[in-house]
Amino acid sequence: MAHDWRPDFEQLVDEHQSMVFSLAFRMTGDRGLAEEIAQDVFLQLDRSLGKIESAAHACFWLRRVTMSRSADALRRRKVRRMDLWVEIEEEHAAEAEDRDSPLGARLEQLLATLPEPQRAALVLRYQEDLTPEEIAATLEAPLATVKSHLQRGLKLLRAKAGNYLKEYIRGV
Amino acid sequence: MEDFEQELRHAMERQPAPSSLKRKIMAHLRRAPGPQSHAVLWQRLAASLALAAILGGGAVEWNWHVREERRKGEAARQQVLTALRITNHALDHMNRQLVAHSRANMN
Repeated sequence: MAHDWRPDFEQLVDEHQSMVFSLAFRMTGDRGLAEEIAQDVFLQLDRSLGKIESAAHACFWLRRVTMSRSADALRRRKVRRMDLWVEIEEEHAAEAEDRDSPLGARLEQLLATLPEPQRAALVLRYQEDLTPEEIAATLEAPLATVKSHLQRGLKLLRAKAGNYLKEYIRGV
Repeated sequence: MEDFEQELRHAMERQPAPSSLKRKIMAHLRRAPGPQSHAVLWQRLAASLALAAILGGGAVEWNWHVREERRKGEAARQQVLTALRITNHALDHMNRQLVAHSRANMN
């Protein structure tokens, strides 16, 4: 189908680089890898610009490809899941030190310890403010599965945050 | 629950991308062949194919020319051999006559 939208690639990079980088970083926990993924995603966007129909489509496309590339990168690492979580947690800990809120910083670290599908759903929900339907479309997953990942992920995160707060209050 | 989600939303705000990201992307695009360069590549491929066809045609022509020259050479050689055979035959005939004439004179 013909479309009139004429994308400016450089402008798309300016508008969406923060989103793409943040998604990749929260999924992989590695700034270097996230930058590499973001670079690949934008280069792929450049090759696919002819298929992009609108600004909203570009945003959707970038989210979907970034999540897919991040999942591929995690699989390629061939690291045991637990080792990877520890690694991600350490990366996030170093990154989160500058945060104003100690709970906020800790939440981001705890998020890195969640299983990948739950983390993906929560990142899209709370970083990108997407609805479960939009998350399902982005991850190409059934809506029920996405809702389940959101509920379980949030529950797990709350439990972990609760433990942290108890320890924090005890420490104070 | 709402407070927790609010805290989570706050904790997960987008982070600024490294300043090097855009520079790397644009530098990579300048190095890599773009869509316009693909057209140039197709043109080059078409030109190469045309050149190959011309060279191939030239080779066939040259091959035909060499064969024709060989055929003409062979025909000329056969003509020379035939002429030599005729000459030889005439000389033999003349020689036989001379021998017969000599014998007749001796008798």
